[in-house]
Amino acid sequence: MSALTLYQIVALMLLCAGLFGLTQRRSLVGMLISVELMLNGAGLSMVAAAQLTDFSAVLGQLGTLFVMGLAAAEATLVLAMIVVVARRFKSAKTSDITTLKE
Amino acid sequence: MEVMAKIAFGVYTLVILSGSILAVTSSSLVRALVGLITTLVGVAGMYLLLATPFMAFMQLLIYIGAVSVLIFFAVMLTRAEKGGDEGGKAPMKTYVYGLAATMAPAALLGWLIMTKPVDSVAVPVEVTIKQLGDGLLGSYFLPFELISVILMVAMAGAVLLTWEKRGK
Repeated sequence: MSALTLYQIVALMLLCAGLFGLTQRRSLVGMLISVELMLNGAGLSMVAAAQLTDFSAVLGQLGTLFVMGLAAAEATLVLAMIVVVARRFKSAKTSDITTLKE
Repeated sequence: MEVMAKIAFGVYTLVILSGSILAVTSSSLVRALVGLITTLVGVAGMYLLLATPFMAFMQLLIYIGAVSVLIFFAVMLTRAEKGGDEGGKAPMKTYVYGLAATMAPAALLGWLIMTKPVDSVAVPVEVTIKQLGDGLLGSYFLPFELISVILMVAMAGAVLLTWEKRGK
């Protein structure tokens, strides 16, 4: 088994953990944590693929840097949304904030 | 891979695995956040193994320094303790559907990774920080500018969302 395969398996593990968490978590903060796990898996996979193949290594690292920047922007916005939701509904549980169902 | 590199890879894999399991299954969000930070440290170690110390440094700086603190604020602003938002058992149906939703991409991508391996080199390519800077201010100047605009808009949007009018 090549080194790249091992790294890709670890990245896949992170993606699956994030997906499972996203379906199981019942609060917005828990879902945010799961999304961060998935983004980390994507970054690890990109860096491993760029470093261990003939593909341009600079492009792979810069792509991962952009993923990190997007993750920071996403976390900022989600924090603001959680503040607004928690203020309005007095809870960040996803089952409490589904008003369309009622 | 050398023997030491293999040992380090195994240790980092264990750190990542235990951290992600804690992050996903813990019923207290504070513990889940500790698990997430453990995973992030493990991924930073993986970056070091891939001969990209700059990426490892950025991982520590951006993810552990900035994103984790943001999530910590989100945890503090909600009911994160045991028996809070995440307390109580979910119905069995959720577990079954969640496992199915996880196993489908895991099986497909795992099969692809195992059966169609790409030609790879054993020793990672070395990239200097100067090359990264040349890339950022040369060929990839537009994405570099766009990401700063996105960060600006996200922060302005966050401030605007949480703005409370005086006297309201």
